[in-house]
Amino acid sequence: MLSEQAVNEINREIDKYPPEHKQAALMATLSIAQRELGHLSTQVMDWIAAFLGVPPIRVREVATFYSMYDLHPVGQHKICVCSNISCMLRGSDEVIQHLEERLGVKIGDTTPSGGITLKEVECLGACAGAPMMQVGDAYHEHLTPERIDAILDELENSDA
Amino acid sequence: MNTRVRQLLRSFLLWELLKGLRVTGRHLFARKITVQYPEEKTPKSPRFRGLHALRRYPNGEERCIACKLCEAVCPAAAITIESEEREDGTRRTTRYDIDLFKCIYCGFCEEACPVDSIVETHIHEFHFENRGENVITKEQLLAIGDQYEAEIAAARGTDAPYR
Amino acid sequence: MPTIEIDGRKLEVEAGKMVIQAADEAGIYIPRFCYHPKLSVAANCRMCMVEIEKAPKPMPACATPITDGMKVYTSSPLAVEAQKGTMEFLLINHPLDCPVCDQGGECPLQDQAVGYGKDVSRFTENKRVVKDKDIGPLIATEMTRCIHCTRCVRFGQEIAGVMELGATGRGEHMEIGTYVGRTVDSELSGNMIDLCPVGALTNKPYRFTARSWELVAGSGVSPHDCVGTNLEMHSLRNVVKRVLPVENDAINECWLSDRDRFSYQSFNSADRLLVPKIHESGNWMETDWETALRYTVQGVRAVLSHHGAQQLGALVTPTATLEEFFLAQKLMRSLGCHNIDHRLRQSDFSDDDIAPLFPTLGSPIEHLEHAKAVLLVGANIRKDQPLLGLRVRKASLRGARVMAINSLDYSFHFDLAGKVIAPPEEIPYALARVVAAMGDSADAPGGLRAWASSEPTQSEREIAELLQQAGKDAHIVLGLSAIAHPQFSVLRGLAQALQTRTGARLGVLAEANSVGGWLAGCVPHRGPVGQDVGEGGLHALDMLREPRKAFLLMGLEPQLDCLESRVAADAVDAAEFVVRMTAFDIEDGVPGDVLLPVTPFSETSGTYVNCEGRAQSTTGVVPPQGEARPLWKVLRVIGNLLDQPDFEYVSSEEVRRELVWDADAYQPHDMPRMLSEPETPANGKGIDVERVLDVPLYKVDPYVRRAPALQATRDNPAPAAYMNSEQAGKLAVENGDRIHAHMGESSVELDLIIDERVPTDSVYIPSGYHETAPLGGVGMVRIVKVS
Repeated sequence: MLSEQAVNEINREIDKYPPEHKQAALMATLSIAQRELGHLSTQVMDWIAAFLGVPPIRVREVATFYSMYDLHPVGQHKICVCSNISCMLRGSDEVIQHLEERLGVKIGDTTPSGGITLKEVECLGACAGAPMMQVGDAYHEHLTPERIDAILDELENSDA
Repeated sequence: MNTRVRQLLRSFLLWELLKGLRVTGRHLFARKITVQYPEEKTPKSPRFRGLHALRRYPNGEERCIACKLCEAVCPAAAITIESEEREDGTRRTTRYDIDLFKCIYCGFCEEACPVDSIVETHIHEFHFENRGENVITKEQLLAIGDQYEAEIAAARGTDAPYR
Repeated sequence: MPTIEIDGRKLEVEAGKMVIQAADEAGIYIPRFCYHPKLSVAANCRMCMVEIEKAPKPMPACATPITDGMKVYTSSPLAVEAQKGTMEFLLINHPLDCPVCDQGGECPLQDQAVGYGKDVSRFTENKRVVKDKDIGPLIATEMTRCIHCTRCVRFGQEIAGVMELGATGRGEHMEIGTYVGRTVDSELSGNMIDLCPVGALTNKPYRFTARSWELVAGSGVSPHDCVGTNLEMHSLRNVVKRVLPVENDAINECWLSDRDRFSYQSFNSADRLLVPKIHESGNWMETDWETALRYTVQGVRAVLSHHGAQQLGALVTPTATLEEFFLAQKLMRSLGCHNIDHRLRQSDFSDDDIAPLFPTLGSPIEHLEHAKAVLLVGANIRKDQPLLGLRVRKASLRGARVMAINSLDYSFHFDLAGKVIAPPEEIPYALARVVAAMGDSADAPGGLRAWASSEPTQSEREIAELLQQAGKDAHIVLGLSAIAHPQFSVLRGLAQALQTRTGARLGVLAEANSVGGWLAGCVPHRGPVGQDVGEGGLHALDMLREPRKAFLLMGLEPQLDCLESRVAADAVDAAEFVVRMTAFDIEDGVPGDVLLPVTPFSETSGTYVNCEGRAQSTTGVVPPQGEARPLWKVLRVIGNLLDQPDFEYVSSEEVRRELVWDADAYQPHDMPRMLSEPETPANGKGIDVERVLDVPLYKVDPYVRRAPALQATRDNPAPAAYMNSEQAGKLAVENGDRIHAHMGESSVELDLIIDERVPTDSVYIPSGYHETAPLGGVGMVRIVKVS
């Protein structure tokens, strides 16, 4: 299911914990699997459950709890907009509205070309720069419609 | 002495009788208030509690959800309900019998019903010719409801502000 | 002990307890949803908030340990405000559909909303709606009602040992559900219905058929296994609608297995026999009791006069009551015949004479959870006795080492510290090697050497070692497969050898009310309470192998309930006169001459004796349906009609009073145990494979076989031939192939399913199915692919 390298990496994570607490490596394993496969399919969650010896539903609990895990295929770029309290007070609703209008997709969807996935997430710990969003691994803070357009233009140009 | 004479005179002159006839005479010429039942009928309160009916929603769906609250509240234990899951997954009765001999027409069933399904109509003139007909079934109750729906709805509407 | 004060009452409470436990013990009410005494503390419903002196905020009583001098106020203004606040939040998303909810009337949320809720909700936004899930044939879901107490999740994780439900998502999006498209398959899943404090998980077969307030409860005892689970049958207008557990910490705690919970469906099944029937000129004629009984008596008399009493045979279902067993054997013995038995799924009776008074667990059920080591021999304790399985799981969680010597690699809900999975034939050898691995000893049973000729394997050595370490805290359990084993006497002898060597306790877990059968004398070689009956008679298997001319079959379906199903069906077929006392119409099955309708356990008063030897009497909860009558009454009348003395019982209690026993005082024949010689299989290890025989838990008796909900579960495997991939490779068959399975002269066509739980050199063909019944019992099977 996963490459040898990924399995080695998972084994390294497992080694960090006592052998009877293999399930402690669950979050790391999910991250590794997602990095490799793009998203966490039911098959890969089954595999992880068997690999770590935990019930499959336990894997699903964790995978659905954290917003950083994707259970469906995502586009090339993933835009995660924080909508928690600081961002909300500073206008995350407008950010989301602007993104939805500009991209023509709703929260949780991917643009038809498969380029960009829009996602609403829980607090990313950048409240000082609210409203903010994460594109790939980069944080973009103090968002305004203009800044968002600039970021999106850049993304689209980089693809072209 | 005087009083004795007065009593004698009164009894011989049929004074008491005349006094009574005065009332008769007055009523003989007064406006008549007798209702000629069954040709004539008195008006009934919207809260009148007569024969029962089961109602439907305007789309034809029966209202009753088989919650059995009417059965539980009935002080005469006149209602018998059996229920099951209908094919579409809703809770429905398979049997809804009311024994009209047991029923005391208290209206508790109507009060208990959360969906205004079981109601007591204005109908109070009904009879049975055979043993066993006193137990009316779900089909009969629904048929009564269908027939008198307009009247039932109007009565509920009139009473609604006071509920 | 620390002293605390709750609502001004001074209490002495054991250290380490939570406030809610202390309050419960003192009878002080604290509202709660997520707290349950048998589950871990989650503290996620926040309903049990109480005020504690010197604490700045209200504290959850279920998660606050007591400390010395603590002062708790459960109904101070602060506590009540917190409780009311919680209730308002809980009701935000809870639908107002109590009238259609099956929990209505017995709902903690409903009750507590009366005490702590507002009459009007201040929540004006839309309520959340959660899609329903199909989680199997036993539990109906209405997930919008869920308040996320996670009792069901914790039950699965902690008690049932399989985490099948989980909480996915977070915050407002949190949902309780199974893993994508899976069902809840635990053999104890029904308990989640009881645990759910709202109507999110409800009883599917019972769904919408009654309301809690109109049900009449009657207590009963489950006859499906040897646990003697206490239960309550709820009936409406004399129809049993559902079954709930009755708390009894010594037996079933507060749990009930699904088999006990849903078998009631059979009471109302369409094929209940409600009038006596007589088989005349090829047709079944309905008749009245008088005619049917006269016909029965005539038939029995005819056989007695033509062939003699020895040509009678009586088989009784192990689910019968003590009284029924007693009257059955009394009837047979008064006719001068000892051919009576209830052990339908046993094939080796050679140690009958030295067997104890009755098969027993060897200790109270509660002790099982304190064992340090448990050895399961031919026992699928998780499925066959689900509530004993729970005790073993508890022991395992406490550190006990559980080991298994089985012919199927059952998936247990506890870890196995050692296991030997081998074809049935190998099992006694393996057990003998475990005995031998403990070293030589003078008190070894005779004949051990022949069984333990080869060197013990590593795992057998480990098992021996772990048993010795645990010493008298070990528990050896022989299960249903061991009893059905063709060398049961050897297995019992070896287990006894282990017992003497280690001081362990030895348990034999027989079927249903088999303990009652032994005590009542419903065995051919002993009378009531072990009375000597001299020569004795034929046991269940011999009665069928040397067919009798007349059979009295009480409550069983020979082709499904007897181990040697083929032999049983043939014997009954060939008999001149067959009386069947049965709760279910079996016209299509094996023929008979008279069908006498008897009542199921809901309509019968009687006594069940569980594997501890604990006798529990019940009265029956509803009157008999139709013309059906309790078996004990039928037997009593047949006794009268046959002019037998002392059949004047007017109640089952009167019968019960004749049976008094002292289990400790009974001494079986004192004979040294000699293990029988191992036989070399006639045809060796050729292309034939040995049949692994195991009755799936929802096939064990006529009741569960008629419970559609249980039949629809995944614990009910397809009637097929199961084999591991190695063996399938050897025989050149593949998963899904149609195969012929031949045993002796009989054969059936089945699907082949690859199942790695089955050891090599064997094939698992479950019994209790019409499809596999023509095959017969234990032995070698030849698998041939259908061309």
